[in-house]
Amino acid sequence: MMEAVPAVLPASAARQRRQVWSVGGGKGGIGKSLITAALGYQLARVGRKVVLVDADLGGANLHTCLGLAGPSLTLGDFICRRADRIEDVMVETGVPGLRLISGASDFLGAANIKYAQKVRVLNRIRALDVDIILMDLGAGTSFNIIDFFLVSDVGILTVVPEPTSIENGYRFIKSALYRRLRGAATNGTVRTIVDSALDHKNPLGIRTPLDLLAAVEREDPASVPVLKQQLTSFHPRFVVNQVRDPSDVSIGHQLVTACARHLGVKATYAGYVPFDDSVWRCVRQRRLFASAMPDCPSAQKVRELARGLMQGESLALTW
Amino acid sequence: MVAVLVGNHYEVLGIDARATPEQVERAYRFCLEMYGDASVAIYSLLDPDEQRRARSRVQEAYEVLRDPFRRHDYDASQGFTRPGAPMPSLPRPAAGPVPVRVPPPPPPRLAAPQVLEPPVDGAALRRFREQRGISLKDIAARSKIGVRYLEYIEADRHALLPAPVYLRGFLQEYARATGLEPQRTAEAYMSRLRRASERQ
Ligand SMILES: Nc1ncnc2c1ncn2[C@@H]1O[C@H](COP(=O)(O)OP(=O)(O)OP(=O)(O)O)[C@@H](O)[C@H]1O
Ligand SMILES: [Mg+2]
Repeated sequence: MMEAVPAVLPASAARQRRQVWSVGGGKGGIGKSLITAALGYQLARVGRKVVLVDADLGGANLHTCLGLAGPSLTLGDFICRRADRIEDVMVETGVPGLRLISGASDFLGAANIKYAQKVRVLNRIRALDVDIILMDLGAGTSFNIIDFFLVSDVGILTVVPEPTSIENGYRFIKSALYRRLRGAATNGTVRTIVDSALDHKNPLGIRTPLDLLAAVEREDPASVPVLKQQLTSFHPRFVVNQVRDPSDVSIGHQLVTACARHLGVKATYAGYVPFDDSVWRCVRQRRLFASAMPDCPSAQKVRELARGLMQGESLALTW
Repeated sequence: MVAVLVGNHYEVLGIDARATPEQVERAYRFCLEMYGDASVAIYSLLDPDEQRRARSRVQEAYEVLRDPFRRHDYDASQGFTRPGAPMPSLPRPAAGPVPVRVPPPPPPRLAAPQVLEPPVDGAALRRFREQRGISLKDIAARSKIGVRYLEYIEADRHALLPAPVYLRGFLQEYARATGLEPQRTAEAYMSRLRRASERQ
């Protein structure tokens, strides 16, 4: 039996819930910023109110991806309280519905912000009157990056079909998940186990989240359900960038399969973006490929990616 | 120790128990690529030994599931029922002694295995096979290689062929079944393939 659905949704439900999306990937130079910018552009084009946040404080360049000069006020100014309101560091991009909080900063210390500052930033950003907050996380697996990823409603993990990127992608997943499990640990025993798992050569032989759960099961079975709950609610979404042939496309499906089988992580395959000369040509002209060359293959795929992510769909593996 | 690949044969290939033979074949190919030596997707996740074990587990599952009789017995032993699944085409005796399966007859013995003139590509293999009046089904029955792969080999569908370690074995089986010299045939086909992929 299906439940009857009211024909007209109440106004509060009809209004899109505000969402935080973030784009990470562990490795540098794999297209995180370009994909963030292009996704934001596509979302704004279909009427979403979007704010892009350049959270790559040490290497901010999202403004350049959008063809903008570095704004005079940035997230760094907000963090160290040179700007009072988050709105003060937000600029228009020229695309209706798309705004930017730049990260570019002379203040290099901004790359190492404290937890309390992070919470303040996030709370203010979440309070903005927008539909989607889209964050470019930058490269690496530092706590700054991972904490932003973990509070997101949609955590996008970019990889390119190269072993170096895949390796960093798995490291990103493990770091994020272990940080989350550690936060959920209710006692010292479990925290100790999680901490030792972070060391690849740990004496307990833990190499994956599944090993970790087995170790907790032995030492403190009562904690297993909490951790399992954290594990099952962690859903990274893969985007494979710089795809050159059909076997590269298949890598996304293999990643999802491998995560499920060998890590116990339920990831999905959000989509892929082809390697496309238009992309880097546009970068050189400081124009965004998605708007400058809307018909190029990569722009089309980002459009599909945006649609899929908005509708909560992913590429399924069918035989 | 990482749990390399646990579960039943269907879980190992990532399919459900109602999968058609074509689906078994495609899932097998996917797993071969995923756990193959050249795999990018599992890089750093499994060590070489685990990767090898995963591969042999995949192979083991496939050997059972691609053979309608072995699959039928396996399903029965695991309590899987496959509604609507076609029964193996040959009738099985209901009771009595366990049937001894007769292997398909070997191809007519030729004086000596032949060696093809280059270029040894899919078309050359196919011409030779057709001259002998051997069908792909014959080869598949003898070698236990799926017809689909044999078609890929003959069509030079390089992107769809399995990793070199498997392909070499497939080519040797193909050669044996048609009366070609296995080692040289496989080597000639594969070196052409290598050159083609280098040119890309
Ligand atoms: N799909 C693509 N096709 C062609 N070139 C691409 C593609 N994606 C990215 N590139 C190239 O890679 C470069 C790096 O992209 P981008 O700056 O978005 O990476 P990033 O992951 O944000 O790097 P960083 O870690 O330094 O912030 C681009 O300047 C462009 O030349
Ligand atoms: Mg970047």
